[in-house]
Amino acid sequence: MLRITARSLASAMRSTMIPTSSRVAAVRSLHGTEESAEEFDKRYEKYFSREGIDAWEIRKGMNDLLGMDLVPSPKIIEAGLRASRRVNDIALAIRWLEGCKDKCGDQKATLYPYLLEKITPTLQELGVPTLEELGYDKPELALKSVYDA
Amino acid sequence: MALRLINNAVLRQLAAQLPKNAQIGSVAGIHTLDKIGKREIVGFGWNGTACYADRVDYPLPAVRFREPNNEINALRAKEQGDWKKLSHQEIKALYRASFCQTIAEVQAGTGEWKLHLGVGLLFTAAAIWVAVLMNLFVYDELPVTFDEEHQKAQLKRIIDLEINPVTGLTSKWDYENNKWKN
Repeated sequence: MLRITARSLASAMRSTMIPTSSRVAAVRSLHGTEESAEEFDKRYEKYFSREGIDAWEIRKGMNDLLGMDLVPSPKIIEAGLRASRRVNDIALAIRWLEGCKDKCGDQKATLYPYLLEKITPTLQELGVPTLEELGYDKPELALKSVYDA
Repeated sequence: MALRLINNAVLRQLAAQLPKNAQIGSVAGIHTLDKIGKREIVGFGWNGTACYADRVDYPLPAVRFREPNNEINALRAKEQGDWKKLSHQEIKALYRASFCQTIAEVQAGTGEWKLHLGVGLLFTAAAIWVAVLMNLFVYDELPVTFDEEHQKAQLKRIIDLEINPVTGLTSKWDYENNKWKN
């Protein structure tokens, strides 16, 4: 009885362990190369510029980027804006601008004007208003309390 | 054999529980599809659920905030064309159809800290009153040994008994000259 159980356990272990270990090895080997900042920028620019990218993928890329400890470079922001244009979602473009502004953190006074200066031509070309033009740099509406709804 | 029996029993129990729990019972329940109405799913939500929340660290939630109506559909049709032709009002309407709050609104203070500070101070004041009243009506007087005369006598006794002469208090007492060491 015990032997049968042990053998079935062992075979089960083998079938689950072997693919796992090879997968781990594949991931570990990736640690060897470090991506430079330029390569990173290029990778995301390419990601957003891909023909036929859909809204789901754009949001995934943007959410990933805005979750990282970095401020997206103007090139990436522009690529993101153009991607939003291709899927005809201006709300997405504005949210993306807001997210990028928020990533400047406590350096908003210096970094945000620089970003804005770099991306202004694209904004004008696409017809996306800046957050200041929309008044979205300050709170516009208060949230209604759930107890009043 | 015994293992298989236990396994079967567990499975049977699980199967018996299934219909009772609507969340497990229906696929739509698991993915919150029964709650989003006609809202469009546009992205990947937390744990893959089609949920909406305004978060700064994950600014693009899985569903649009509002269900599409005729007005928004008309705007969406207009959005397909040149964005320069959209007025700021229309852009804001489109934004609010997709999102509930702007990030500036999410980060705006709620002023709730004042409530917490106020309640905290109320409790602090109550604690102070309790301490005062306890001292007035509950506790006895301090023992006589707390007055200066008794404290001096205590110190003299410690020195006379040479308590803790190596590292303690009397190590600082000069017994030859009967005064404190410098």
